[in-house]
Amino acid sequence: MKDQKRIAIYGKGGIGKSSTASNVAAACADEGYKVMIIGCDPKSDSSITLLGGRRIPTILDLLKQHLDVNEKDIVFEGYGGVKCVEVGGPEPGIGCAGRGIIVAIQKLQKVCPSMNDMDLIIYDVPGDIVCGGFVAPIRKGLVTEAYVLTSGEYMPLYAANNICKGLAKIDTPLSGIICNSRSVTREEEIVRKFSEEIGSRLVAFIPKEQIVQDCERDGFSVLEKAPKSDIAQVYRNLAKDIMFNNQSILPGSLDDERLRELTR
Amino acid sequence: MMGKNLSIMHPRPSSIVAALYTLRDLNVDVAILHGPPGCSFKHARLLEEDGIRVVTTALDENGFVFGGRQELSSLLVKVNEMFKPKLIGVVGTCASMIIGEELHEPVEDANLDVPVIEVEVHAGYPDNTKGVLITLESAFEVGVIGKEELERQKVLLREATLVEKRHGAASKEYLEPSRGDVKYKVAEKVVRLLQEGKKGITIMNAKKETGYMFADVSAAVNEVALALGKEGNVVNMANIDDSLGLPRVRHHAKCITADLQERGMIVHEIIGGMDEYPITGTKVSELIKQKYSDYDFAIITGVPHAIPMEALEGMEIISVTNGPRQVLPLKEMGHQHVIVEIDLHPKTLGVNHIVESEFGATLREVAKDMLGR
Repeated sequence: MKDQKRIAIYGKGGIGKSSTASNVAAACADEGYKVMIIGCDPKSDSSITLLGGRRIPTILDLLKQHLDVNEKDIVFEGYGGVKCVEVGGPEPGIGCAGRGIIVAIQKLQKVCPSMNDMDLIIYDVPGDIVCGGFVAPIRKGLVTEAYVLTSGEYMPLYAANNICKGLAKIDTPLSGIICNSRSVTREEEIVRKFSEEIGSRLVAFIPKEQIVQDCERDGFSVLEKAPKSDIAQVYRNLAKDIMFNNQSILPGSLDDERLRELTR
Repeated sequence: MMGKNLSIMHPRPSSIVAALYTLRDLNVDVAILHGPPGCSFKHARLLEEDGIRVVTTALDENGFVFGGRQELSSLLVKVNEMFKPKLIGVVGTCASMIIGEELHEPVEDANLDVPVIEVEVHAGYPDNTKGVLITLESAFEVGVIGKEELERQKVLLREATLVEKRHGAASKEYLEPSRGDVKYKVAEKVVRLLQEGKKGITIMNAKKETGYMFADVSAAVNEVALALGKEGNVVNMANIDDSLGLPRVRHHAKCITADLQERGMIVHEIIGGMDEYPITGTKVSELIKQKYSDYDFAIITGVPHAIPMEALEGMEIISVTNGPRQVLPLKEMGHQHVIVEIDLHPKTLGVNHIVESEFGATLREVAKDMLGR
């Protein structure tokens, strides 16, 4: 296997993991890297903005029908040749989404030799680290570094802090904190401080801009629909940082009191 | 491609249990089940009779919720101190696999000097041979078996699965268990055939340790033939090649060969190793075609449904199985008499010598009565 980046992006639900993942994927593809994005959320919307708003069949959809799954059935090329995969999963409230991820990831490894040719594989993992299944990509040795996405608000930071605890517990290095801004007071400063206190760094500050929303609604990444925008450049810089990063640490975490103080 | 498999209603062999038996064949000293205390209890208990220790991490509701990494690593350390094993196996269960337990991390945590075969298996596979396969692949990874043996086993497992689907317990949506035909009636039939000077073949096509009992059926037939002065009318085939298979399986072949020799029974044709029961059919067919096509009856033991019917055309067939669900498929194949050796397996664990079969014992007694001795 060639030297490849295999990253997972964690963070509180709704904080913008999928948007960030698909924009980073698009930016890396623009640079000529071979990129794969693997959506591990049962909602299966990680790659939708790379596919012009189209939904693709998920691995678990096909397995559920007892079909013999091949690479061409589950890997779809999107913007810039980014290979898109969606794990899928059960409807909310039924079955076990965690087990679904385990089964799907095993299948993918088995039928998808092109994974080995990638320069960057992004696992877009739902929410916080919730159960064994959701860390399957890490546990199975598929992910080598993690990024945590947060805003400067208390709750997302609280989640980020918890995730860092989890990462340390499962021996997974953190390569940095990404701030997806919600326009909170002193946001960049708060998140930078948080990053440093857990022993990591702030990799990017993504300002809140309407254009991201607009592109997403139409089914596109910013890189595809608004490549000249300032925010596209922010994603490009983040992508570059990810591709060249070689500083990863086992993160520490803050206690509740310190976390509150930080966001005051 | 490929739609849904046949949905089978009756209980099926478990992949977890298949993994345990495979670990035994690889001569592990201790097998650890990572899961709830009752998982695979009956077989775990039986395997202890076979000289391997089976222990469990005994995960409870807390274990399901919080995982059992700590439980498994400390159990590894404990069994290593208590039993001083040379080889350990760790086997997953449905519960631990569903919650995403990793076997490798606790094994690393325990950091023993002893090789550990990690088997991430649950019982949700339609073919229980999957449990064997996962075990062998893991054994290969830690260097317990070589590439060649792994590939050989893969072929056998594929064939074994096919045999069960064709004419075995996986051949129908539901199979009623049955005790088969009455043993003394069939025994009378065999004695009569021999008395009449009919020529017969005994074919022992046994799966591994079950051969300790099936061999007794062949031995009994030969004893009766000898008593009748018809020993020249019986040829014997058996899958007891002791140069094939995992160490323990070869050992069974050696022990059975020695016992048969001691009893003065000649095995005319060795049809394969004791793990080759799914593929011996070809050899048996060829042999019959070349040398024994004029024989009148065949007594097939072990996995009788693996022997193709074409080869046996025109012969009266008596088959002996240990699977109550195997009776109906064998009858449908055209075997006239089907006998079940109930509870055979427990009696063949932990032994090094041939054990008496019910049919063998019946045959000996019936012959005594019929011959007036």
